[in-house]
Amino acid sequence: MKLLRKDAANDMVRKVEIINRLGIHARPASMFVKKAQEFSAEITVEKDKMKVDAKSIMGLLTLEGYMGAVLTLRAAGEDARQALDALEELVKNKFYED
Amino acid sequence: MSVSVGQFYEAGKENLSLELEYGGEYFSRHIPEQALNRPGLALTGFFQHFSHRRIQVIGLAESDYLQSLDAGTRLSRVRDVCRHDIPCILLSRGRRAMPEIREAAEEYHIPVMRSPMITSRLINAATLIMENLTAPTIRVQGTMVEIMGIGVLLQGPPGLGKSETALALIERGHSLVSDDVTVLHRDSEGFVIGSAVDVTRYHMEIRGLGIIHVPSLFGVSSMRNNMRLDLVIQMHPWDPAIEVDRTGLNSEKTDMMGVSVPLIRLPVAPGRDMAQVIEVAARNQKLKLLGHDAAKELDEKLVGILTRKAQA
Repeated sequence: MKLLRKDAANDMVRKVEIINRLGIHARPASMFVKKAQEFSAEITVEKDKMKVDAKSIMGLLTLEGYMGAVLTLRAAGEDARQALDALEELVKNKFYED
Repeated sequence: MSVSVGQFYEAGKENLSLELEYGGEYFSRHIPEQALNRPGLALTGFFQHFSHRRIQVIGLAESDYLQSLDAGTRLSRVRDVCRHDIPCILLSRGRRAMPEIREAAEEYHIPVMRSPMITSRLINAATLIMENLTAPTIRVQGTMVEIMGIGVLLQGPPGLGKSETALALIERGHSLVSDDVTVLHRDSEGFVIGSAVDVTRYHMEIRGLGIIHVPSLFGVSSMRNNMRLDLVIQMHPWDPAIEVDRTGLNSEKTDMMGVSVPLIRLPVAPGRDMAQVIEVAARNQKLKLLGHDAAKELDEKLVGILTRKAQA
Protein backbone atom coordinates (compact mmCIF):
# COMPACT_ATOMS: atom_id res chain seq x y z
CA MET A 1 0.00 0.00 0.00
CA LYS A 2 1.31 3.42 -0.90
CA LEU A 3 1.89 5.70 2.05
CA LEU A 4 0.40 9.13 1.70
CA ARG A 5 1.04 12.17 3.82
CA LYS A 6 -2.07 13.16 5.68
CA ASP A 7 -2.60 16.34 3.77
CA ALA A 8 -1.17 15.07 0.53
CA ALA A 9 -4.56 15.56 -1.01
CA ASN A 10 -4.04 19.27 -0.51
CA ASP A 11 -0.65 19.42 -2.24
CA MET A 12 -0.75 21.83 -5.11
CA VAL A 13 1.66 22.68 -7.91
CA ARG A 14 1.56 25.66 -10.22
CA LYS A 15 3.89 27.23 -12.75
CA VAL A 16 4.10 30.99 -13.18
CA GLU A 17 6.16 33.09 -15.51
CA ILE A 18 7.82 36.24 -14.25
CA ILE A 19 6.69 39.10 -16.43
CA ASN A 20 7.84 42.21 -14.61
CA ARG A 21 10.82 43.87 -16.27
CA LEU A 22 13.19 43.85 -13.29
CA GLY A 23 12.39 40.31 -12.13
CA ILE A 24 12.41 39.22 -8.50
CA HIS A 25 14.68 41.76 -6.87
CA ALA A 26 14.43 42.83 -3.26
CA ARG A 27 11.10 44.63 -3.30
CA PRO A 28 9.14 41.94 -5.17
CA ALA A 29 10.81 39.29 -3.01
CA SER A 30 9.65 41.01 0.15
CA MET A 31 6.11 41.32 -1.24
CA PHE A 32 6.17 37.63 -2.15
CA VAL A 33 7.35 36.64 1.34
CA LYS A 34 4.81 38.91 2.99
CA LYS A 35 2.03 37.32 0.96
CA ALA A 36 3.28 33.78 1.59
CA GLN A 37 3.37 34.42 5.31
CA GLU A 38 -0.35 35.06 5.33
CA PHE A 39 -0.89 31.33 4.79
CA SER A 40 -0.15 28.40 7.03
CA ALA A 41 0.66 26.16 4.08
CA GLU A 42 4.25 25.13 3.46
CA ILE A 43 5.20 26.77 0.21
CA THR A 44 8.30 26.32 -1.90
CA VAL A 45 9.51 28.01 -5.04
CA GLU A 46 11.55 26.17 -7.64
CA LYS A 47 13.60 27.32 -10.60
CA ASP A 48 16.34 25.45 -12.48
CA LYS A 49 16.20 22.62 -9.93
CA MET A 50 16.84 25.04 -7.12
CA LYS A 51 14.20 24.96 -4.45
CA VAL A 52 13.72 27.56 -1.72
CA ASP A 53 11.20 28.37 0.97
CA ALA A 54 8.67 30.94 -0.24
CA LYS A 55 8.85 32.62 3.16
CA SER A 56 12.60 33.31 2.91
CA ILE A 57 13.74 36.57 1.34
CA MET A 58 17.34 35.53 0.93
CA GLY A 59 16.20 32.24 -0.58
CA LEU A 60 14.05 33.96 -3.19
CA LEU A 61 16.84 36.33 -4.15
CA THR A 62 19.24 33.46 -4.81
CA LEU A 63 16.86 32.06 -7.40
CA GLU A 64 17.66 34.94 -9.75
CA GLY A 65 14.12 35.16 -11.07
CA TYR A 66 14.53 37.35 -14.16
CA MET A 67 11.76 38.36 -16.55
CA GLY A 68 10.78 35.33 -18.63
CA ALA A 69 11.87 32.75 -16.09
CA VAL A 70 9.29 30.20 -14.95
CA LEU A 71 8.82 29.45 -11.27
CA THR A 72 7.26 26.28 -9.95
CA LEU A 73 5.24 26.95 -6.83
CA ARG A 74 4.38 24.04 -4.56
CA ALA A 75 2.16 24.30 -1.53
CA ALA A 76 1.07 21.81 1.08
CA GLY A 77 -1.47 22.51 3.76
CA GLU A 78 -5.06 23.44 4.28
CA ASP A 79 -4.91 26.77 2.54
CA ALA A 80 -2.52 25.61 -0.19
CA ARG A 81 -4.88 26.53 -3.01
CA GLN A 82 -5.58 30.01 -1.67
CA ALA A 83 -1.85 30.56 -1.13
CA LEU A 84 -0.97 29.66 -4.71
CA ASP A 85 -3.85 31.76 -6.04
CA ALA A 86 -2.61 34.77 -4.13
CA LEU A 87 1.04 34.31 -5.09
CA GLU A 88 0.18 33.71 -8.73
CA GLU A 89 -1.89 36.86 -8.77
CA LEU A 90 1.03 38.81 -7.37
CA VAL A 91 3.45 37.55 -10.03
CA LYS A 92 0.93 38.04 -12.85
CA ASN A 93 0.32 41.60 -11.73
CA LYS A 94 4.05 42.26 -12.04
CA PHE A 95 4.27 42.87 -8.29
CA TYR A 96 2.39 46.08 -8.99
CA GLU A 97 5.69 47.49 -10.14
CA ASP A 98 6.02 48.29 -13.85
CA MET B 1 14.20 79.69 29.37
CA SER B 2 16.42 81.81 31.55
CA VAL B 3 20.03 80.85 32.10
CA SER B 4 22.04 81.63 35.22
CA VAL B 5 25.61 82.87 35.16
CA GLY B 6 26.60 79.65 36.94
CA GLN B 7 25.08 77.52 34.16
CA PHE B 8 26.93 79.56 31.56
CA TYR B 9 30.19 79.17 33.46
CA GLU B 10 29.77 75.40 33.80
CA ALA B 11 28.85 75.00 30.15
CA GLY B 12 31.69 77.21 28.96
CA LYS B 13 34.42 76.08 31.33
CA GLU B 14 35.80 73.64 28.81
CA ASN B 15 35.08 75.18 25.40
CA LEU B 16 35.90 78.77 26.36
CA SER B 17 38.54 77.84 28.97
CA LEU B 18 36.73 80.12 31.39
CA GLU B 19 38.39 81.10 34.63
CA LEU B 20 36.59 82.82 37.42
CA GLU B 21 38.04 86.15 38.55
CA TYR B 22 35.48 87.05 41.08
CA GLY B 23 31.91 86.49 42.25
CA GLY B 24 31.20 82.74 42.36
CA GLU B 25 28.71 83.45 45.11
CA TYR B 26 26.62 85.48 42.65
CA PHE B 27 26.32 82.69 40.12
CA SER B 28 22.55 82.64 40.56
CA ARG B 29 22.27 85.94 38.64
CA HIS B 30 20.21 85.49 35.51
CA ILE B 31 21.21 86.19 31.93
CA PRO B 32 17.93 87.39 30.41
CA GLU B 33 19.19 87.67 26.82
CA GLN B 34 21.25 85.07 25.00
CA ALA B 35 23.29 87.43 22.81
CA LEU B 36 26.52 88.98 24.11
CA ASN B 37 27.32 92.68 24.25
CA ARG B 38 30.48 94.75 24.00
CA PRO B 39 29.90 97.74 26.24
CA GLY B 40 32.16 100.07 24.21
CA LEU B 41 29.93 103.14 24.11
CA ALA B 42 28.56 102.52 27.59
CA LEU B 43 32.10 102.83 28.92
CA THR B 44 32.28 106.31 27.43
CA GLY B 45 29.16 107.22 29.36
CA PHE B 46 26.60 106.81 26.58
CA PHE B 47 23.83 104.53 27.88
CA GLN B 48 21.07 104.88 25.31
CA HIS B 49 20.28 101.48 23.83
CA PHE B 50 22.70 99.84 26.25
CA SER B 51 21.99 96.07 26.16
CA HIS B 52 22.43 95.61 29.87
CA ARG B 53 20.53 92.29 29.92
CA ARG B 54 23.38 90.52 28.15
CA ILE B 55 26.80 89.20 29.16
CA GLN B 56 29.21 92.15 28.84
CA VAL B 57 32.42 91.33 27.00
CA ILE B 58 35.46 93.48 27.65
CA GLY B 59 37.61 93.03 24.57
CA LEU B 60 40.89 94.60 23.52
CA ALA B 61 39.27 97.93 22.56
CA GLU B 62 37.31 98.30 25.81
CA SER B 63 40.32 97.25 27.80
CA ASP B 64 42.71 99.71 26.12
CA TYR B 65 40.14 102.48 26.32
CA LEU B 66 39.78 101.94 30.08
CA GLN B 67 43.57 101.91 30.41
CA SER B 68 43.70 105.31 28.73
CA LEU B 69 41.56 106.82 31.47
CA ASP B 70 42.82 107.93 34.85
CA ALA B 71 42.02 105.58 37.70
CA GLY B 72 39.19 107.69 39.13
CA THR B 73 37.33 108.05 35.81
CA ARG B 74 37.94 104.40 35.07
CA LEU B 75 36.28 103.33 38.30
CA SER B 76 33.28 105.59 37.83
CA ARG B 77 32.73 104.41 34.22
CA VAL B 78 32.85 100.74 35.16
CA ARG B 79 30.56 101.44 38.09
CA ASP B 80 28.05 103.11 35.77
CA VAL B 81 28.01 99.97 33.63
CA CYS B 82 27.67 97.66 36.64
CA ARG B 83 24.88 99.78 38.06
CA HIS B 84 22.72 98.79 35.07
CA ASP B 85 22.20 95.34 36.56
CA ILE B 86 24.31 93.46 34.01
CA PRO B 87 24.49 89.66 34.46
CA CYS B 88 28.29 89.29 34.42
CA ILE B 89 31.51 90.56 32.88
CA LEU B 90 33.60 88.43 30.53
CA LEU B 91 37.19 89.43 29.72
CA SER B 92 38.81 88.19 26.53
CA ARG B 93 42.46 87.45 25.69
CA GLY B 94 43.08 86.15 29.20
CA ARG B 95 43.37 89.66 30.59
CA ARG B 96 43.02 89.97 34.30
CA ALA B 97 40.41 92.36 35.62
CA MET B 98 41.75 95.80 36.41
CA PRO B 99 41.41 96.72 40.09
CA GLU B 100 38.61 99.15 39.18
CA ILE B 101 36.58 96.48 37.39
CA ARG B 102 36.94 94.24 40.37
CA GLU B 103 36.00 97.00 42.80
CA ALA B 104 32.85 97.92 40.86
CA ALA B 105 31.91 94.25 40.42
CA GLU B 106 32.29 93.63 44.14
CA GLU B 107 30.14 96.61 44.89
CA TYR B 108 27.31 95.44 42.59
CA HIS B 109 27.73 91.67 43.13
CA ILE B 110 28.60 90.94 39.56
CA PRO B 111 30.65 87.85 38.66
CA VAL B 112 33.74 88.44 36.51
CA MET B 113 35.39 85.74 34.40
CA ARG B 114 38.03 85.60 31.71
CA SER B 115 38.84 83.52 28.67
CA PRO B 116 42.12 83.28 26.75
CA MET B 117 40.24 83.50 23.42
CA ILE B 118 40.30 86.62 21.25
CA THR B 119 37.12 88.65 21.41
CA SER B 120 35.47 87.74 18.11
CA ARG B 121 36.01 84.00 18.59
CA LEU B 122 34.95 84.24 22.19
CA ILE B 123 31.69 85.96 21.26
CA ASN B 124 30.90 83.38 18.57
CA ALA B 125 31.62 80.43 20.83
CA ALA B 126 29.83 81.95 23.82
CA THR B 127 26.78 82.68 21.66
CA LEU B 128 26.63 79.01 20.66
CA ILE B 129 26.80 78.00 24.30
CA MET B 130 24.04 80.43 25.20
CA GLU B 131 21.92 79.11 22.31
CA ASN B 132 22.35 75.55 23.52
CA LEU B 133 21.51 76.57 27.08
CA THR B 134 18.35 78.39 26.03
CA ALA B 135 17.24 75.78 23.47
CA PRO B 136 13.91 74.18 24.30
CA THR B 137 14.18 70.68 25.74
CA ILE B 138 11.70 67.85 25.80
CA ARG B 139 11.63 64.67 27.82
CA VAL B 140 10.86 61.44 26.07
CA GLN B 141 10.27 57.95 27.37
CA GLY B 142 13.22 55.89 26.26
CA THR B 143 16.69 54.65 27.07
CA MET B 144 19.60 56.13 25.17
CA VAL B 145 22.90 54.42 24.43
CA GLU B 146 25.96 55.25 22.41
CA ILE B 147 27.13 52.45 20.14
CA MET B 148 30.42 53.12 18.36
CA GLY B 149 29.68 56.78 17.91
CA ILE B 150 26.02 56.28 16.99
CA GLY B 151 23.44 57.66 19.41
CA VAL B 152 20.53 55.25 19.68
CA LEU B 153 17.25 55.89 21.49
CA LEU B 154 15.44 52.69 22.55
CA GLN B 155 11.71 53.12 22.86
CA GLY B 156 8.87 50.72 23.50
CA PRO B 157 6.28 49.69 26.05
CA PRO B 158 7.46 49.16 29.63
CA GLY B 159 8.59 45.68 30.58
CA LEU B 160 9.95 44.86 27.15
CA GLY B 161 13.53 44.95 28.37
CA LYS B 162 14.86 48.33 27.26
CA SER B 163 17.06 48.66 30.33
CA GLU B 164 18.23 45.05 30.13
CA THR B 165 19.12 45.59 26.50
CA ALA B 166 21.05 48.73 27.42
CA LEU B 167 22.84 46.75 30.14
CA ALA B 168 23.83 44.08 27.64
CA LEU B 169 25.12 46.81 25.32
CA ILE B 170 27.18 48.29 28.17
CA GLU B 171 28.67 44.85 28.76
CA ARG B 172 29.63 44.78 25.11
CA GLY B 173 31.62 47.97 25.71
CA HIS B 174 29.10 50.59 24.64
CA SER B 175 27.95 53.50 26.80
CA LEU B 176 24.75 54.53 28.50
CA VAL B 177 23.45 58.05 28.05
CA SER B 178 20.18 57.82 29.96
CA ASP B 179 17.89 55.17 31.36
CA ASP B 180 14.15 55.30 30.77
CA VAL B 181 13.80 59.08 30.54
CA THR B 182 15.85 61.00 27.99
CA VAL B 183 16.13 64.76 27.71
CA LEU B 184 16.36 65.97 24.13
CA HIS B 185 17.32 69.37 22.81
CA ARG B 186 18.30 70.79 19.45
CA ASP B 187 21.75 72.22 19.28
CA SER B 188 22.84 75.20 17.21
CA GLU B 189 23.88 72.94 14.32
CA GLY B 190 20.40 71.44 14.08
CA PHE B 191 21.21 68.07 15.62
CA VAL B 192 19.08 66.52 18.34
CA ILE B 193 21.16 65.88 21.44
CA GLY B 194 20.09 63.44 24.14
CA SER B 195 21.15 63.43 27.77
CA ALA B 196 19.98 62.15 31.12
CA VAL B 197 17.93 64.03 33.68
CA ASP B 198 20.52 65.45 36.09
CA VAL B 199 19.29 63.73 39.25
CA THR B 200 19.19 60.21 37.84
CA ARG B 201 22.26 60.49 35.60
CA TYR B 202 24.62 57.46 35.88
CA HIS B 203 21.86 55.32 37.37
CA MET B 204 19.56 52.75 35.95
CA GLU B 205 16.83 50.54 37.25
CA ILE B 206 16.92 46.83 36.56
CA ARG B 207 13.82 44.88 37.49
CA GLY B 208 14.62 42.60 40.39
CA LEU B 209 17.89 44.35 41.23
CA GLY B 210 16.67 47.86 41.84
CA ILE B 211 18.76 50.93 41.19
CA ILE B 212 22.38 50.51 40.17
CA HIS B 213 25.18 53.04 39.68
CA VAL B 214 26.52 52.27 36.24
CA PRO B 215 30.06 53.77 36.34
CA SER B 216 30.79 52.08 39.68
CA LEU B 217 30.00 48.70 38.17
CA PHE B 218 31.27 49.15 34.62
CA GLY B 219 33.81 51.97 34.77
CA VAL B 220 33.78 55.56 33.56
CA SER B 221 33.74 54.63 29.90
CA SER B 222 30.31 53.06 30.37
CA MET B 223 28.68 56.50 30.59
CA ARG B 224 28.29 59.44 28.26
CA ASN B 225 26.79 62.72 29.40
CA ASN B 226 25.27 63.60 26.07
CA MET B 227 25.15 62.23 22.57
CA ARG B 228 23.78 63.17 19.20
CA LEU B 229 20.66 61.20 18.29
CA ASP B 230 21.24 59.20 15.09
CA LEU B 231 18.74 56.37 15.31
CA VAL B 232 15.46 55.59 17.05
CA ILE B 233 14.65 51.94 17.70
CA GLN B 234 11.03 51.22 18.46
CA MET B 235 10.81 47.84 20.19
CA HIS B 236 7.51 45.97 20.18
CA PRO B 237 6.37 42.49 21.21
CA TRP B 238 6.67 39.88 18.46
CA ASP B 239 3.36 39.77 16.65
CA PRO B 240 2.97 38.17 13.22
CA ALA B 241 0.19 40.63 12.45
CA ILE B 242 2.59 43.57 12.62
CA GLU B 243 4.31 44.02 9.32
CA VAL B 244 8.07 44.11 9.54
CA ASP B 245 10.32 45.46 6.83
CA ARG B 246 12.22 42.42 5.66
CA THR B 247 14.58 44.10 3.23
CA GLY B 248 15.58 47.30 4.96
CA LEU B 249 14.79 49.17 1.74
CA ASN B 250 11.92 51.11 3.21
CA SER B 251 13.88 53.34 5.56
CA GLU B 252 11.42 54.94 7.92
CA LYS B 253 11.95 58.28 9.63
CA THR B 254 10.48 59.83 12.70
CA ASP B 255 10.24 63.45 13.72
CA MET B 256 12.21 64.46 16.81
CA MET B 257 11.93 68.16 17.62
CA GLY B 258 11.53 68.97 13.95
CA VAL B 259 14.52 66.86 12.91
CA SER B 260 13.99 63.75 10.80
CA VAL B 261 15.71 60.77 12.45
CA PRO B 262 15.90 57.20 11.04
CA LEU B 263 13.50 54.81 12.76
CA ILE B 264 13.70 51.03 12.98
CA ARG B 265 10.85 48.90 14.30
CA LEU B 266 12.23 45.86 16.03
CA PRO B 267 10.12 42.90 17.14
CA VAL B 268 11.18 41.40 20.47
CA ALA B 269 10.80 37.64 20.92
CA PRO B 270 11.90 35.46 23.83
CA GLY B 271 15.44 34.36 23.25
CA ARG B 272 16.20 37.02 20.68
CA ASP B 273 19.47 38.72 21.55
CA MET B 274 18.30 42.32 21.30
CA ALA B 275 21.69 43.80 22.21
CA GLN B 276 23.29 42.00 19.31
CA VAL B 277 20.55 43.02 16.88
CA ILE B 278 20.71 46.65 18.02
CA GLU B 279 24.49 46.71 17.79
CA VAL B 280 24.20 45.53 14.20
CA ALA B 281 21.52 48.16 13.55
CA ALA B 282 23.93 50.84 14.80
CA ARG B 283 26.79 49.47 12.68
CA ASN B 284 24.48 49.46 9.67
CA GLN B 285 23.42 53.03 10.40
CA LYS B 286 27.07 54.03 10.58
CA LEU B 287 27.61 52.40 7.20
CA LYS B 288 24.66 54.34 5.79
CA LEU B 289 26.11 57.57 7.14
CA LEU B 290 29.30 56.71 5.23
CA GLY B 291 27.20 56.38 2.09
CA HIS B 292 26.77 52.61 1.90
CA ASP B 293 23.27 51.19 1.96
CA ALA B 294 23.67 47.39 1.93
CA ALA B 295 20.04 46.66 1.06
CA LYS B 296 20.06 49.14 -1.79
CA GLU B 297 23.41 47.96 -3.13
CA LEU B 298 22.38 44.31 -3.13
CA ASP B 299 19.16 45.26 -4.88
CA GLU B 300 21.01 47.21 -7.56
CA LYS B 301 23.36 44.29 -8.12
CA LEU B 302 20.39 41.93 -8.43
CA VAL B 303 18.52 44.16 -10.83
CA GLY B 304 21.66 44.27 -12.97
CA ILE B 305 21.93 40.47 -13.07
CA LEU B 306 18.21 39.97 -13.66
CA THR B 307 17.86 42.44 -16.51
CA ARG B 308 20.97 41.01 -18.23
CA LYS B 309 19.53 37.50 -17.99
CA ALA B 310 16.12 38.64 -19.17
CA GLN B 311 17.64 40.07 -22.32
CA ALA B 312 19.78 37.01 -23.01
